Amino acid sequence: MAGVADHLIVMPVLLPLAASAAMLLMSERRRVLKRVISLATVMALITISVLLLRTAAASHDPLIYLLGDWPAPFGITLVLDRLSAAMLLLTNILGFTSLLYATARWDRAGPRFHALFLLQLMGLNGAFLTGDLFNLFVFFEVLLAASYGLLLHGAGRKRVTAGLHYVSINIATSLLFLIGASLTYGVTGTLNVADLAARIPAVAAEDLMLLQAGIGILGVAFFIKAGMWPLGFWLPGTYSAAVPPVAALFAILSKVGIYAMLRVLLLLPQDPSGSATHVVDEWLQIGGLATIAFGTIGVLSSKSLSRLAGYSLIISSGTLLASIGAGEAVLSGALFYLVSSTLGVSAFYLLIELVGRAETDMDTSPPADAVFDDEYVGVREEDQENEVGVVIPATLAILGGGFMFCALLLAGLPPLSGFIAKFAIINGLLDTGISPWTWTLAALILLSGLATIIATSRAGVDLIWTPDRPSRDLRLVEAVPVGMLLALCLGLMIFAGPIMRYMEQTADALDVTARQPPAILSDPEEGTTP
Amino acid sequence: MTSPEGLLLAMLILPFLGSLTAAFLKPAARTPAWALTWAATLIALGIAAYLYPAVEGRAVLRNEIEWLPSLGLNFLLRLDGLSWIFSILVLGIGALVTLYARYYMSPEDPVPRFFAYLMAFMGSMLGLVLSGNLIQLAFFWELTSLFSFLLIGYWHHNQSARDAARMALIATAAGGLCLLLGVLLIGKIVGSYDLDRVLASGDLIQSSDLYLPALILILLGAFTKSAQFPFHFWLPHAMAAPTPVSAYLHSATMVKAGVFVLIRLWPVLAGTDAWYFIVSTTGLLTLLIGAWAAIFQQDLKGLLAYSTISHLGLITLLLGLGSPLAAVAAIFHAVNHATFKASLFMAAGIIDHETGTRDLRSLSGLYRFMPITATLAMVAAAAMAGVPLLNGFLSKEMFLSASLAEHSGTIIDQALPALATLASAFAVLYSLRFIHQTFFGPAPQGLPRIPGEAPHWMRVPIEILVVACLLVGILPAMTIGPYLATAVHSVLGDATPAYSLAVWHGFNPPLFMSIAALGLGTGAYLLFRKTLNRQDGAPLIRRLKGRKIFEASLAAIVDTARALERLLGTRRLQPQLRLLVVVALLAGLLPFTRLGYGLGDHQGTVVDPGFAVVWMIGGACAIGAAWLAKYHRLAALILTGGAGLVCCITFLWLSAPDLALTQLLVETVTTVLLLLGLRWLPIRAEEVWPGGRAASVTLRRAIDLTIAVAAGLGMTLIAYAVMTRPLPGSVSRFFVERAYPEGGGTNVVNVILVDFRAFDTLGEVTVLAIVALTVFALLRRFRPAQESVGAPAQQRVQNAIDEAREGRQVGDTLKDYLLIPRVIMEWLFPVIMVFAIYLWIRGHDMPGGGFAAGITLSIALIVLYMASGTRRVEARLRVQPARWIGFGLLLALLTGMGAWLFGHPFLTSYFGYLDLPIVGKVPAASALLFDLGVFLIVVGATALILIAIAHQSIRRPSASILRQQALEQGEG
Repeated sequence: MAGVADHLIVMPVLLPLAASAAMLLMSERRRVLKRVISLATVMALITISVLLLRTAAASHDPLIYLLGDWPAPFGITLVLDRLSAAMLLLTNILGFTSLLYATARWDRAGPRFHALFLLQLMGLNGAFLTGDLFNLFVFFEVLLAASYGLLLHGAGRKRVTAGLHYVSINIATSLLFLIGASLTYGVTGTLNVADLAARIPAVAAEDLMLLQAGIGILGVAFFIKAGMWPLGFWLPGTYSAAVPPVAALFAILSKVGIYAMLRVLLLLPQDPSGSATHVVDEWLQIGGLATIAFGTIGVLSSKSLSRLAGYSLIISSGTLLASIGAGEAVLSGALFYLVSSTLGVSAFYLLIELVGRAETDMDTSPPADAVFDDEYVGVREEDQENEVGVVIPATLAILGGGFMFCALLLAGLPPLSGFIAKFAIINGLLDTGISPWTWTLAALILLSGLATIIATSRAGVDLIWTPDRPSRDLRLVEAVPVGMLLALCLGLMIFAGPIMRYMEQTADALDVTARQPPAILSDPEEGTTP
Repeated sequence: MTSPEGLLLAMLILPFLGSLTAAFLKPAARTPAWALTWAATLIALGIAAYLYPAVEGRAVLRNEIEWLPSLGLNFLLRLDGLSWIFSILVLGIGALVTLYARYYMSPEDPVPRFFAYLMAFMGSMLGLVLSGNLIQLAFFWELTSLFSFLLIGYWHHNQSARDAARMALIATAAGGLCLLLGVLLIGKIVGSYDLDRVLASGDLIQSSDLYLPALILILLGAFTKSAQFPFHFWLPHAMAAPTPVSAYLHSATMVKAGVFVLIRLWPVLAGTDAWYFIVSTTGLLTLLIGAWAAIFQQDLKGLLAYSTISHLGLITLLLGLGSPLAAVAAIFHAVNHATFKASLFMAAGIIDHETGTRDLRSLSGLYRFMPITATLAMVAAAAMAGVPLLNGFLSKEMFLSASLAEHSGTIIDQALPALATLASAFAVLYSLRFIHQTFFGPAPQGLPRIPGEAPHWMRVPIEILVVACLLVGILPAMTIGPYLATAVHSVLGDATPAYSLAVWHGFNPPLFMSIAALGLGTGAYLLFRKTLNRQDGAPLIRRLKGRKIFEASLAAIVDTARALERLLGTRRLQPQLRLLVVVALLAGLLPFTRLGYGLGDHQGTVVDPGFAVVWMIGGACAIGAAWLAKYHRLAALILTGGAGLVCCITFLWLSAPDLALTQLLVETVTTVLLLLGLRWLPIRAEEVWPGGRAASVTLRRAIDLTIAVAAGLGMTLIAYAVMTRPLPGSVSRFFVERAYPEGGGTNVVNVILVDFRAFDTLGEVTVLAIVALTVFALLRRFRPAQESVGAPAQQRVQNAIDEAREGRQVGDTLKDYLLIPRVIMEWLFPVIMVFAIYLWIRGHDMPGGGFAAGITLSIALIVLYMASGTRRVEARLRVQPARWIGFGLLLALLTGMGAWLFGHPFLTSYFGYLDLPIVGKVPAASALLFDLGVFLIVVGATALILIAIAHQSIRRPSASILRQQALEQGEG
């Protein structure tokens, strides 16, 4: 361990924490400085993520960082492999685009936006990096706490109602996480995920049910996060209440559940007696199918675009769950899909506010009768001056084009990466053998795309093509993030080959880490024999 | 780029590049946009023509670019005879349409957008025919759906254009998804998506179990795109598009995409019974229904639209027959139809442009106004009717002879010659009606505009196409012959039959059928021409309103979805939490049902009666809190505190003083903060269930109780099972053994918190900080219920007394009776502060630590606020909790990062002994600094929440609220 480069792996956690701590020292009025700090931080995070991604891609074994220099499994480890590196990059890209978008107006809709936003990124980055079950819980808490704050950002009745709903669900979820984690610890005596992988096969038969119960309850917590039917009803309402840049960042939150699942659920061994993995796969498959179906229903029945976006997230989760349950052949396609659909939904959340601004504006204007004199809701009028960026012409064309590309992306139609993602999943799925289950899943995946087209074309035609709608203003800082996200999806499409190769290696590595104890652990007995 | 492969790529890229450029032109830039399109199309056309030698004699030009090799998907352009002839059609007619559109589109239209869509569509179509890979084909297929949607909806200020565009999109995109799944299956059967591999695997495909599903899926795709019955409904409505779009989409492109795929995969899919029945039946039905409906159209474009459907049906039927000769006819007719149909659409556009109407009933005798256009239209219509010496005649002859040639003995087969003749007669009838009604007869009356001849350059595209119809019709072998042969060979290969492209084949049955059709059609027109003008929709099939059915089914789908969403989902929190608990319960209990429940061999300790009593009290408190949570918040809160205290006692009892201390402090702070917040909650409605509780409510509560009890019991059983087992070789021994030698502290809990797992602690204090910030943000905007806004009753009474008495100011009473607590508190504050610091310093070795110290100090702050009042405290003390949090976080971070200077990972601790003057040698670990950070954060976070609540009390309600309350008091 020498040089800062060795500590790069911990930076995605420390950097946003330091920046937000520094911002807490500043007065609430120093907006410009805070914007500069947070944008610079997120740009640095992207750079770090790219460096980490390259490191991870170059090395065969995962990179380990021993916090406090305590040997694994006793201390906490950070683990960087291809999956975590990809998730980091995705998170921080979403962070950047959402933040940039927020600087147009939303960051002034409440106090301490930038600090909360960076802490949210810290929580996400930590959750993707940690190799420790309890530390994962801690970072879940960090990202959840920050998401409570961000969800409530902008205030207003709708957000407070949705916010308290969200808090209740997530506190219950955290409780389940704790129960699951402690049961797992109680049976295996370790919290280190790699150590768990090593110890689980050795769990005595008479303790197996406890382990399965523990991981089962953990799984429920992850399913709730991912929005699996029937545990995901909270999702569309919550996300549609959040201010757009926050919702756009939240697009990655449900993926944390998926990620955690990949890391923990797949640890259950394929042992002949309990055949636990088989059970997990079944849960994933059935739950995934039900989730896609419910998401499809929801997309069709949505009366507002923001709920539609929420249900698209549910479809995305369902597709991922079912694909993961389908086995290793589908995993790389599923990972590709994860990236593509997350970017797409995020862009969609940003865009629907721009498209429907005339409607949503109602929500941010202060209510007629303030209860307190110092009360304010939404963006204050006096803040509307000295805007960043310029109003760009051809607004409608840009919005229309953006909307169309988002819709295509969500539906899995060309020319953006959604098509390749769905192709990769179904292609892999058909490789696993043609069964009624494969048929159902493939059909549902395609049907969900069709439903998205039906719903978005209706909304798009109404919002963009119908004449005599009030003209909307669009600022460059709002258009650029959407454009960036869509350009990334185009990039995913064009460079599908190398990216898919990366995902394939990721999937292979996941398989290896899940089935074999990696060499990162020091001898478990070492600690006990002084 | 000058190699044939490079040129092929350039040919495909040109339209897209042009489209992208046009998209950035100003809306008024008519000529640049047009010139750009024209140039791009012509160059691409030139390249296509130049590439012909590369495909002669069954040669194939391939350009493969690596794209997604691991999934067998490369970007592969493949030019052979068939794709060459289709490319020429796409680009050639595209060029003519571009020329036509320049004059057709009105000056007000933002044409750069139009041309951008048009070129993108052209590129997609080109990509489709050039695809050498099935997935890539599906990719471009969906792109054509997308751009046709934009083109059809180009005049989106029209409701009909918007609806038509959306209908076309949904219908063809749905078909596209079927196609995708279909070609995926084909790819799985063959083991490759490469077209050359697929075309070589006909037997493999047809013998596979997956053949039938793949076939059906691909056919669904082709039929929706090529508007085959019953998916034809979108096409007539797509006429809402500008005429150049119709001329393009419905002649050479869009609708031909389906036919193209059928031709492309004909060698591997055709020849089975399933293919024969599905394809030929669909084609036949479409042929007849389209032709029949075309007869009764009153709209020029509508007539052409249904005729397009009918001709597509004809091509499909030919392909369905499965014989190579019929396939030749299909390819030939696809080309011929493109030429005459494009010219007819353009002519219809001129008529519409010049007269202002497309209604056949209003049109009449236009020949005298526009003789050239009329002549052109007549020739083209004659080709459509299949009159000799025109290209339509040749392919129709081939069709008629094919209809005779097949004799597999089925009913379709038997009836085919008659039905083919009938359909041809229909074609004659509607072509005749189109011409005669428009151009002949008396001069038109009451037209919106006085018609005249269209600008010369608007007619040129039609002239070119009509000349093509004539040339091919008269000299087929010298004009289209070699190219058609190349196309046919590229599809059929060795199976290419001998066919003749001569105009005259002697007196044979097809000729008689042709003559019969001509006679029948003409006769019928003479008989029924007046009647036809009075018809409103086609008899027999009038009720088949595809659009209505489509819209009704869409609406039904949405309604069903809404009903299902309500049924399968819920937006309410209570059922969601119920589900959460139930699913967790199932997940937790399922393994036990499978593997059984067993206790470990740990012998429990003897139950201590005192301890049992404590726990009974704790349990009672918990149950009581749950019971009262809804109806008596204060009591519930206090009971929760009771349960917390029992936890605290338990920790003490079981020798965990550190936990007990922290628990006690946390309990205190949270309870006090919650109590402070209670004041702002809305007053509970007394009567929850007016008119008595419904039975359903009682039932729901009973269910909830059962679930709760089950979950609690389940958790107990699981916990008991774990606790009766010996602890596995866990990592905790390591902590106990290393805490002092390597962590420098004898308090293991603290060493775990600030050293072994300091990273967790850093995370958790961050959580605390975030929660505080959130609470602050939330309360800053807090809008309590109306009834809780005003001062509480007690305060009002006190203030009233103060006001009533002479010489007293408002607030004096409060000040008086809090005097003693205030003095005590103000004096105690420094003492508690010192105690907190003491707790922090000794934490590493004895119960205490930064967390406990922080909470201790916050308790001091809370009491100070309560005793002295917010304003007084803040006047004397700089309370800046956000800064404290910031400093704390930075301190903890910097301590952790300090290890980097020594080349160790983040949070590596260091400990040693400091030799201080006077005090002497004291243990000092870097963890102590970290703990100081924790200390600061905890104080800051608690204080932030505290002041958020405290400031709520000193907010001034707005004037309107105060007035209203004064009014209410006056009444009360």
